[in-house]
Amino acid sequence: MANTESLENVVLELRRGVITLAALSQLGTEQYGYSLLKQLSDLGLEVDQGTLYPLLRRLEAQGLLVSVWKLEEARPRRYYIISAEGKKILPKMKKEWAGIVSVMDKMLA
Amino acid sequence: MNLIDRYVAEVGKNLPLLKGREDIEKELRSTLEDMLEDRASTTGRMRDEAMEIELLKEYGSPQTVAATYNPQPYLIGPRLFPFFLMVLKIVITVLVTVLLILMGIRAVTDTPFMGAEFVNIIGKGLGGIVSAAIAAFGNIVLVFAILERVLPDAQINALKTDEEWDPASLANEPDPDTVKRGELIAEIVFTFVGLAILNLYPEILGMFVFKEGDTFFIPMFSDAFFKFIPWINAIFFAEIVLDIYLLRSALWTSVTRVAKIIIEAASIALTVVILRTPNIVGFTAESFKNFPDSSVNGELLMKIFNISFSIALVIVIIVAGVELAKAAYGLIRMNYRTK
Repeated sequence: MANTESLENVVLELRRGVITLAALSQLGTEQYGYSLLKQLSDLGLEVDQGTLYPLLRRLEAQGLLVSVWKLEEARPRRYYIISAEGKKILPKMKKEWAGIVSVMDKMLA
Repeated sequence: MNLIDRYVAEVGKNLPLLKGREDIEKELRSTLEDMLEDRASTTGRMRDEAMEIELLKEYGSPQTVAATYNPQPYLIGPRLFPFFLMVLKIVITVLVTVLLILMGIRAVTDTPFMGAEFVNIIGKGLGGIVSAAIAAFGNIVLVFAILERVLPDAQINALKTDEEWDPASLANEPDPDTVKRGELIAEIVFTFVGLAILNLYPEILGMFVFKEGDTFFIPMFSDAFFKFIPWINAIFFAEIVLDIYLLRSALWTSVTRVAKIIIEAASIALTVVILRTPNIVGFTAESFKNFPDSSVNGELLMKIFNISFSIALVIVIIVAGVELAKAAYGLIRMNYRTK
């Protein structure tokens, strides 16, 4: 029991760490929350909506994303896109990620 | 109001009072609509209340959903917590010390020593100190909880000290029996100054008043106080002798610790006697009649001086008590180690 629980916790922590990078990487073109969620899921990363939506708002508050409301199909949708600041920071994040992957690959090989 | 509207409203009710709350509700509604549409198209079913119920169940209770948006689940967050602890320690220490001193003054001056009333004042005083400490704690928590919510992040981050930590600051723990030379030297100097003033220049302990070209001197202490001078001298002298001996030997021994305990106990006893002697302060309402400003309330000034003097004496008692306790603790630990 305890083992399953710690495994779940580790997986949760790992996933939480990559969601920011995953979301930023996919927002080069504008997307609304649900479409991003589906896109991440199609690419194989299942993200809980309770995690994604607040994260998008936080990234916007940090200036890494900008958002705009658009009226589509009689329904308003909030579209997010990476900001200039986010574009500057994304390559650095990618580099960090590549570093982590290569270190961990060596370690786990 | 349909089910989705009611759900969104319920989430909104549970959101913290933030700007952007309406925006969150609007985005949530839009998302739920998208999900329903998606669900209807993939399953080929018609959108109905059953489908809404199914979706909302999966989405989670309004409280849980609202909680994911709450950026501040802390009353006092981890960034402010160290400062909260620091302020709390300082305020509670100062508050309790001041209240203990005031209680001591009341107990020693207002009552026959150790009588029922004395016990009563101590009992009530301790109760009052506990409730004052709890009230102070509550107020500090309130202030920090408000700061946590109104201070911009930049200001909270600015509170962090970025001083480089030096491992050398982890000084070796000193030998508990080593004497502290600086303290001893300071003590000797101050005791000498005290002895000199009391014996050679008692006339500087008072106030000079200049009026119409004449100088009047108001002595601070009455004759009742000067009767204690030989006793004070004896204690001061013993203190200096002990300090010089300690400076030379550099180590505390059980003999010097016992001597220290006796000296501190004697000075506490003497201070208590002085504190309980009436009319020790030389200022009287009469002595203020020479004041150039006739509006000065002699009666009030006298009271202020009397109270200040009592507070000074109580501080002397507390300091001597702490010294005594330190010496006693050292003695006990010493015996414990040799066993």
